[in-house]
Parts: sequence; C-alpha cells; structure tokens
Amino acid sequence: MAFSGTLTLTDLNDFITPAQACIKPVEQTKPQTAEKEPGTASTEILIDASGTYYEVSSDLSTSSRALADVPAKKLEQAQISLNDCLACSGCITSAESVLITLQSHTEVFTFLQANGSPSSPDYKIPVISIAPQSLASLAASLSSSSTTSVTPHQVLRRLQVLCKEVLGFEHVFDTTFARHIVLKEHVAEFEERRANDKAGGEADSHLPMLASACPGWICYAEKAHAEMLPFISRTKSPQQVMGTLVKEWMGKKWDKSPNDIYHVSVMPCYDKKLEASRQDFYNDVYSTRDVDCVITTGELELMMREKGRDLSIPIIGELDFDRSTNTFLGLPVLLQHPGTSSGSYLHAIINHIRDTSPTPLILSIKAIRNADYEEYTLTEESDQREPKTIFKGAKCYGFRNLQNIVRKVGRERGLRVGTGAAGKLGARVAGRRLKKTGVEVKKERQYDYVEVMACPGGCVNGGGQLKPVATTTIPKDRDEEGFERNWENTGVVDDTQSGKWGDKEWTKKVEEAYWRDAGPPLYSLPTPPESPPLSPTLDGVSRLPERKTGISMTSADELMFRIFDELSVPGDDDTVKHRAQLFRTQYRAVESEVIGLAVKW
Amino acid sequence: MDIDLPYTLLPLADLPAHEERAWHVAWNPAKPLLASCSADKSVRLYTYADDGAGSLKFSAVTTIPTGHSKTVRAVAWAPSGNTLATASFDSNIGIWEQEPDEGDDGEGGEKGDWECVSTLEGHETECKSVAYSCTGTLLASCSRDKTVWIWEVHPDADFECMSVLMEHTQDVKCVAWHPTEEILASASYDDTIKLYVDDPSDDWFAFTTLTGHTSTVWSVAWAPWGSYLVSGSDDKSVRVWKRMAEHKWVGVLVLAGHERSVYSVAWGKGRGRKGEEEGRYLGWIASTGGDGSVRVWELNKKAHRGALIAHMPSAHGVHDVNTVTWCPREGYEDLLATTGDDGSTRVWKVVPTS
Repeated sequence: MAFSGTLTLTDLNDFITPAQACIKPVEQTKPQTAEKEPGTASTEILIDASGTYYEVSSDLSTSSRALADVPAKKLEQAQISLNDCLACSGCITSAESVLITLQSHTEVFTFLQANGSPSSPDYKIPVISIAPQSLASLAASLSSSSTTSVTPHQVLRRLQVLCKEVLGFEHVFDTTFARHIVLKEHVAEFEERRANDKAGGEADSHLPMLASACPGWICYAEKAHAEMLPFISRTKSPQQVMGTLVKEWMGKKWDKSPNDIYHVSVMPCYDKKLEASRQDFYNDVYSTRDVDCVITTGELELMMREKGRDLSIPIIGELDFDRSTNTFLGLPVLLQHPGTSSGSYLHAIINHIRDTSPTPLILSIKAIRNADYEEYTLTEESDQREPKTIFKGAKCYGFRNLQNIVRKVGRERGLRVGTGAAGKLGARVAGRRLKKTGVEVKKERQYDYVEVMACPGGCVNGGGQLKPVATTTIPKDRDEEGFERNWENTGVVDDTQSGKWGDKEWTKKVEEAYWRDAGPPLYSLPTPPESPPLSPTLDGVSRLPERKTGISMTSADELMFRIFDELSVPGDDDTVKHRAQLFRTQYRAVESEVIGLAVKW
Repeated sequence: MDIDLPYTLLPLADLPAHEERAWHVAWNPAKPLLASCSADKSVRLYTYADDGAGSLKFSAVTTIPTGHSKTVRAVAWAPSGNTLATASFDSNIGIWEQEPDEGDDGEGGEKGDWECVSTLEGHETECKSVAYSCTGTLLASCSRDKTVWIWEVHPDADFECMSVLMEHTQDVKCVAWHPTEEILASASYDDTIKLYVDDPSDDWFAFTTLTGHTSTVWSVAWAPWGSYLVSGSDDKSVRVWKRMAEHKWVGVLVLAGHERSVYSVAWGKGRGRKGEEEGRYLGWIASTGGDGSVRVWELNKKAHRGALIAHMPSAHGVHDVNTVTWCPREGYEDLLATTGDDGSTRVWKVVPTS
C-alpha cells in the first residue's frame, strides 16, 4: 500500500524536495533453476490483471493461452522501507514520494483490527499521541467551515471520544507534556554547552546550539551538512520523548513491557515517520519502537472520514474542563509554551536566561528577511550606548533561510562547509582578506542558539497538515479581468493562479488556531496574545509579556521530576547520565554514494 | 547553397584547446577577455587586441586549474567584468577574482592570479549553468537536482541565498537574466522554459511557463532589448518568444534548420540594417548544436520574420559545438565565440559575403 497522499508538494514553494536518485539496490535472489542450453529461448514477463508480474518460459507464453495455464513464477516487487531511506542519500528527504508500508494509516487500521480483545494474550494497549500543531490544523479546518471558531482543545476532546469509540484506542494524549520535558532538557543542554564553551571548548561545547525537533532538518544535515551535526541539540523531539513516556513510564505503571503497547503519534509532518523509524529509537530487547506508527494530520482526518465520523459534530461537554478525563496518570493537557507555534524552543531558552539573570535583560527582535527569519537579542538593561549582549538567537524556518544559517554558522565558526573539493578553495583567500584589512572589524555577536525548522512558517505549515479549505477562485480559462482566455493556445501556462498565496493565508489561520485556546484556567499560562506573541513592533524592539509561572507549569514540573525518579534505575546514582539516556539521542553523517551514470547531461 | 547567404563566418582565431571537451565560453562584458571551461576542470582565459593592421589578435592569458573536482560546465562574468563564476558538476559554484598585485599599486603592472574567493554550495547534484543579473547584485544557478537558486551578492565575496525554486520537474539546463530587469529565465529537460520575478512581499516565483518545445530545452537567451527571448532545444528547433504584456510571453516564431539538437543560442545586436530605420530590426540570433553547424539569423519585427543570414557547417570539424555566444562589447557586435567537443574555442567574425 502506498502512502496516503493528502497533499502534493506542487502547492508549496520552500520545502525540501525529493532528489532524483534513489539508490536502493534491487536485490536479486538467484533462483535454483536447471541450466539451460545457451542460445535456447529464455523467458518473458507477463502481467496479470492485478498488476503482478510473472516470469514465464517464452515458448509457452502464447497469447491464446491463459496465464493460469502456464507454469509461471511470480516476481517480487522491489520494496523500499523507511530504513532504506534513512541509510541512503539518494533523496535528501523522501516525504511522500517514497512508498512507505509501515507508516501509513492503513497500517494503523490493520493493527487495530488484528489486535483483538483486551483479554487475548497478544493484546497490545493502543495509545495515540497528538501533536498540538495537528490539533490546530484540524481546528482551523473545522472553524473555516463553521460559523463558530473551534479551539484545539475542543478538537482534542472530540478526538478523545472518537479515537476511543470508533478506532479502539485506550488512551488519547497530546504531546505537550512531552514537549515540556523536551524544553527543560533543551535548556539544560544549552547550559551545558555554554558552560563548556566558556571553559574552553571541550567536546560537545559547540555553540550555537541548533534545534533538533525538526526531522526534515536533521535528515538534511545528516546527508548534506555533516559539519553541522555537532551543533545540533541532542535532545530528543517531543514525539520521541512521548514515545519514551508511553513505552517506559506508562508501561511500568500498567505493568506492561514496551512491546505490549502500540503507540501511534499524529504529526503535522511526513518526516516524523522517518524520525520514528530511526535505529536510535528502536528497543532491541523488546523488538519494538518507541513510536510504532506515525500518521499525519491529514491521515487522521482521512481515518475519521473512512469510518464515517465527522469531527465537526460537537461532543457534549467539550467546552467544560473535566479534569478526570484528561489527566490520566496526572498528565497535564495542552500545555501552552509561549513563543512559537513550532515548539517555543528559542523562547524556552530566552525565558530561562531572563529568569536566571541577576540583572534585568531587554529582549529585542529584528526581522532579517521576513517572519521566518528573526533575530532575538538579550541585552543588559543599562544607560550605556552599547549595552552588553548576553544572548543572541534566531528562529529560522524554511529551506532558503536554513541555507543561509548553515553558511553563516559555517563562516562564523570557521568550518569548511560542504564536501566538494571547491570547499577548500575559499579558506586561503579568507585568511588573507582578514590579514589585509589589518584592524579586525568589530565583531558581531555570534549566535548562541537557532530554532531551525525546514518548513516555511514552521510546523503549523507542515507537509502533513490539512489542505486549505477550498475557496472560490477565478476559473482558469479567464484572465484577471474575467475575460475568456485560452492561454495554452498561445503556448503559455499561467502559474500565478496556483495556490501559492492561499497557502500563506491558510498558514496564518492555522497559526491563529494554534494560539486560540489558552486552555482551561487551571492549566493555562497567562493568556497568550491573539496572534503569535512577540511580533516585533515598528522599531524592531519588543518585550516578552510578563511571565508568571502558572500552576500548570509547577504541576508539570512536579510530575516531570516524579517521572525521572520512577524511571531511574535503583542503585544508579548518575541521574544526569540516566536522563541523557532517556531524553537524548545522536546523529550520524550519511555519505553520498550516488554516481550519476545514467544521467543525461 | 550557402553562397547565397548575405553573410559569412570568418574564422578569426582557433584558441589553444582544453585537454578535454570544452563546454562553455563567455565574453567579459567590460574588458578584452574571454573565458572557456572544460571537462578538464580548468578555465582558460584569452585576451584580444587590435594588431595594428585592422584585425584582432587573440592570445591565451592564463589557465585556472579551478580545483573543482568534476567538469566545469559553465562560466559567467559579472557585469563589472571583475568577477567570474564557475558552475561545476561537483555541484558547487565557484566565485573567482583576480588577486590584486601586491608589489605594485595595480596601475600598469601585471595583475595577480585568479583565485577562488567564495564557493556556493547547496545544489545536490551537477550544476549546469550560472548567470549574473544585469546589475550584478544577483546570481542564479541551476542543477540536475531540478532546482534554480537565486543568491544575493554581498560585499566581500559573501552571498545570501534568496530563493530555491523547485518549479521544474526535471534537470534544469540553463539560466539567463533579462538584460535590464530582474527577470530570470530557466530551461529544462522537462521541455519547458520558466520565467521568474521577485514578489517583494514574498519570495521569487515562476510567473509563467513557456511550452512548445517537444524535447529538452538546452539553452535560453534574451534579446539585447529585452522584449524577446530565444530558446534552443533537443527537438532541433529554435523558438522565439515575445513579451505581450508585463507578465505575458508567447511563442511567435520557430526557426528550423538544424539537423540535430540545438545546444546553444545567443542573441546579439549584430550589424544588420534591414528595417532599422523603422525600428523593426531586432538583431542577430546565433544557434549551434549537435550537427556542428553555426547558424545566424536576422530578426525582424515585421510579421516576426527570421531570415538565415549565415551558416557555418562543421564549425569544429566533426565535433559537436556546445556553446555559441556574441561579444557584448560595443564595437564588437559581429564577433562570435564557439566551443566544442574538440576542446577548442574559436572566434568568428560575421562579415558580408563578398
């Protein structure tokens, strides 16, 4: 079964696309057949109605004969698994163009059907974890076809009911508590790197630290920019921390081993399927993955439609906050971390630095090119003309901005970017240039942290999100003034009417939906502003809203520390090491082996 | 039969050959310099000067062993004539400048070596073409990875990626900038040509796709006055496209005659006269390709006529000719340079048939 495509990449303009060369070798197992005399007739390939290929002896394959009458050998089809994709650099990322059998919504259906009843010995507890960006996408979609605006929280409530009643999941979570742990770990890792950097650069002291939650970026860096890997945070993504929570911690609570739980995650992103398939997230002892199957927002919606269920129908009491239904094992629901809709990684670090600073700090934000590339600087509050810079970070979304970050970091840190022989050429000149200018130009503060995401607009605009709800557009055979035109006759294909701008508008709506509900009072932070918070003011300087530590954050922190305790191995005092085992991962460069032999220049 | 044509290609120079096939040649727009590149990974520079007897003398200046690990497929000069860009099959773009002479203050003395001041990486696979915009502030490159990249040129050989355009469904063969406006054209193995502009509030985007060629479009070039575009294709034809409105381009003419793939087209001001007084003269188009011949056509606005005015069969002997290009410098409008699979670069003057 091929991937259930809910979106075609042609609508988008700044995504990483699949490459031309897939080098997955087609393995041939040599059949044990009787040697034929050289020169005798060999075989032919026949295809039956279902598209299956058969090899038949050519002297038998006459058209008059039915296929069934002929001794035919069924041929195997080449299969590409996600692990092949991860090991090959033929594609930068594979997204939907690769056939994925283990990570599709049909796989989820197949599993749930085969799972049987809870009393059966092979029964696995089905758990589903939903990303907040997926909820936002559904909320935006439902809102645009309804008169009232639907919040992500309402969507979660409806999904909790439907996933349990219709699909048969036992537990439905969102991934924001996992993200809460990730943000804590992320901040801890940043502090480690900063301390090491100050101490004189040991291993892992690499700054700037680059965000690690985006699997598209990770894949790209591993395949095209190995020199960036030491800079990428080793903290796991929320999806994978959720995997650890479900399989390790909840498993313990339920007295189940990891392979007795089937964990599905719903993500705004196709590349999360690749992430879940990484060897690092495979438990060899129990032969199971932390996340067994990843489906996209679009696939979840498709599953509901295939089951004839409508997410637009409200659930009774969905607006009330019922603590008992949502706080299974005390897990907080829809924690909002102020900052960006892609996970607030940068803001978690900014907030941490402000909170721990002995002196008040001022945050200024500068848009570099557009909203997808912004610089955030923390300076000491002072009367001096040039106050001391404490921290400089950036958020950087989209493939193009990502290129510039790679170039900038490479240049600032004196790395040889890229792999080509030409890469070494520039260095000699750069050295002399520096010498020639004599006085060193006043150095610009280098980045300490960059929140990198491969999609323009970030995760709310992920490739797995729902398509914009169709609005009326000008028919293609008319021009802007409404006159009939036949462009093709004049050899012209007008591309300006594609959904390009619609996408941007749509992303804005999903972004709005993401921040729509601050959640019920008990679990909310101070209500975030309507649109993305911290949008720069005209003079390019703005301040974070005053922060108070909400009750939810305190209780989330408490739960987090309790989980650390409960997961720690008795007798093992090295909690730092143990936390790293649970919540950190690693990256490795993938060498390109693509040879362009069959290429027409 | 060619005796009837009004112009003839007079060979002016046969420049020392590369060790392997020569892919591309580019005239420096500001100085008497010519750069060729080759599968031997080097770039060769040639100069030319009046020999005192009224004709031009060409000579080799230097060879840059680029350091690219694979074929150098294309070269492009910045409008200033001070910077050279190389596009290589090693997937990189190299930016080259001449080292200022250290012992001398540059006046009169010999200038230093050409050195790589920057490399642009990002393409996944073979780069096929590179081009500077008319103001020299933008650089475009394209690759077998189907993408077209636009870079902003910053001071100190620094570049910023402005856009990665993934409009083509196949290998992109050629990029070319409009002579006065910031419009980019790209030609592809997907048989189409795409035109791009910047949306100031957003990103670069393809505002139109020109279809008509039935096979790979190998080459695309703008008319010197900007309101026309010419393309050469594997379907053996040369097509001319006209700007009807700001963002509307339509095919107006097909020039047939090549017996094999057309690999390269160029549009120069030329020295034609017909219809000039009525403003109908549109300059000269040169085309070349797999049949080894160079053809020159005079373009006329009236009914969009293109007349073959010169034809040079076997311009590089039995070899394919990979590039043809007009000298952009004033006073040299009748000069053509070609490179071929024989590794050599040849210079031709289009002269009236005597």
